[in-house]
Amino acid sequence: MTVYKGYLRIIKRNMNLILMYLGIFMAITVMFQTFAEEGNYGNFQAESVKVAVVDEDGGAFSSAFQDYLRQFHEVKKMKKDKALMQEELFYRNTEYIVRIPADFFDACVKGGEKLQITNVPGSYTAFYVDQQINSFLYMAGVYDAAGLTEEEMIQALGDLEPARVELTDGSGTAGEMPAYGWFFRYIPYLFLSVFCYVMGNVLSAFHKGDLPKRMQASAVSQRRQSMEGLLAAATIGAGLWGIVILAAFLLYGKRMTGSPGLAFYLLNSLAMLLVSLAVSYLVGMVVGGKNMQNKLNGIVNVLTLGMCFLCGTFVPLDVMSKSVKTVAQFLPVYWYELVNEYLVEYDGMAGSMRGQILEGIGIQLVFAAALICVVLALAKWKKGRV
Amino acid sequence: MIQIENLVKRYGNLVALDHLNLQIQEGEVFGLLGPNGSGKTTAINCMLALLKYDRGSIRILGEEMTPDNYRVKQQIGIVLQNVAVFDELTVYENIDYFCGLYVREKEKRKQLVEEAVQFVGLEEFVKTRPGKLSGGLLRRLNIACGIAHKPKIIILDEPTVAVDPQSRNRILEGIQELNRQGSTIIYTSHYMEEVEQICTRIAILDHGRSIAVGTKEELKNMIKTGETVTIEGVLLTPEQILSVRELPHVFSVEYEEQILTVRCTKAEHNLIRLLHYLQEQEIPFGRVFSELPTLNDVFLEITGTKLRD
Repeated sequence: MTVYKGYLRIIKRNMNLILMYLGIFMAITVMFQTFAEEGNYGNFQAESVKVAVVDEDGGAFSSAFQDYLRQFHEVKKMKKDKALMQEELFYRNTEYIVRIPADFFDACVKGGEKLQITNVPGSYTAFYVDQQINSFLYMAGVYDAAGLTEEEMIQALGDLEPARVELTDGSGTAGEMPAYGWFFRYIPYLFLSVFCYVMGNVLSAFHKGDLPKRMQASAVSQRRQSMEGLLAAATIGAGLWGIVILAAFLLYGKRMTGSPGLAFYLLNSLAMLLVSLAVSYLVGMVVGGKNMQNKLNGIVNVLTLGMCFLCGTFVPLDVMSKSVKTVAQFLPVYWYELVNEYLVEYDGMAGSMRGQILEGIGIQLVFAAALICVVLALAKWKKGRV
Repeated sequence: MIQIENLVKRYGNLVALDHLNLQIQEGEVFGLLGPNGSGKTTAINCMLALLKYDRGSIRILGEEMTPDNYRVKQQIGIVLQNVAVFDELTVYENIDYFCGLYVREKEKRKQLVEEAVQFVGLEEFVKTRPGKLSGGLLRRLNIACGIAHKPKIIILDEPTVAVDPQSRNRILEGIQELNRQGSTIIYTSHYMEEVEQICTRIAILDHGRSIAVGTKEELKNMIKTGETVTIEGVLLTPEQILSVRELPHVFSVEYEEQILTVRCTKAEHNLIRLLHYLQEQEIPFGRVFSELPTLNDVFLEITGTKLRD
């Protein structure tokens, strides 16, 4: 295990550099996560609109209609005064004004006449009120066709209740992405950046001058040298993974430990770790010669930022176009982010979801294995070029 | 111990090794001498199976040398032209690392590393990083990394390039000591003085071919030159130059910038005859040198060019 020990000694000598990179990229990750979390709005929110009613009818049916609206919105009465109406809308004292015509029942239920509406231009909440008014008038039409008297109809409409929706909230985050979900989402960026820089610097020590020649002329096979190098990379990877996960536990504490999907979060990050290590080893083998640091910076930035933008680390997968997703499927980070999204959305691990999560993790492992094969092939190819 | 037969290596249209044949016996200090680009390093790389070759065969210790023949590689130590050590490791760690590629037992390795440190005289620098060593000390570290595992064959590829005379002498003495301890040495250089000093047998390479092989005496006996006389600050007419050419045993005369170079065949009193002629003609002259033939003369006569051209 001489080669392995040599790697570890060189890694030890580069420890300050490693901790510096870890610190920088950890800070960037937490910063990204904080900004993203601040912009995260709830997925489900009841909307209560300030509705004003100009009641020209004043009858029992008109009164029932206003009671119906009061279940959802703040309803107040308003005089029929065009200037007043404009002023109220301008100052947003009201967002939606509905005029109930005289002879409301005959005109609107029997005659199918539409209610006169005035609202704030571009207001999306008006759409909800429109739907609720249409629903009320439609039900009134149904009851009328069924032969109910006006009193019976008012009674029946009064009994109408808003639909009840029950949401399962397995993660206990009320539909929001948990903070640790954001942290895990940015892990590919952290792993790829740190490992590429660390392994790039460490491997460059082995590529300097005539060192590859001396190594190849030695009694240790090229295959064994590569395997011991990969093992050393795995050791440093395990160490860095431990630090990152420990940081997550310290940052998110019980919120994270209480998550039923914790084991899968960890498993997914481990798969990503293997991919990152293989990518970084490959980068380290390619980068060398003069201006090594500049070349490394260029490759790492293109690789990490490119993959992270394409695969849903910086931009959520659900806002990406189909063609981008099709391309991203050929990159391992996509599968990591997909699994992370499943875990965030369906923390409970239903049977079929578990299968999809394991499939995503499996695909990452296949990517890692393929990259390791490329590393070994490249090492063999380089051997013939000295 | 090492047999190279009809070795051909091409880089595109360039023929780096052109049917090279060499036989190196156990216990020799075998020198590969030739100008830059003559194929010395290519030959070494082929011997170490670092390069694939187009034709021929290489047998080392009775076995065909292939990239996967680790049994043979185990017996070879290599000191490369450029210093190949890790800047991140100390002197001791570097030697220990490269020794560890051949010797797994920790105790034995520790002993070998300490012996190597002592051998190259780096005891005071064991905890120093290579970046803080002078050029000469760095070369010694490079050698220690190649020989620590006590190989049967040691290949040194121009180990004294850019080294001060003091370190160079120490390195050359060290190589002779390694040979005395039982290692067979293959030494490449374009410094003929070094090769003459330490090698028991020499192959002169040019354009990828071995143009002469033998001991230094054998090589010198191959050529016509027995003595070269150089006289500085002498003014000669063309007739006088022709007269010098006619002196007994003289076969070549060069006259340039008042320096007369006369090459004579192996005979006695060449210098006396020449000085006697100058006195007779009352020609004043400055400093006078007389040299026995060198490997450069061998190279010059065989190829028509100087070794360092």
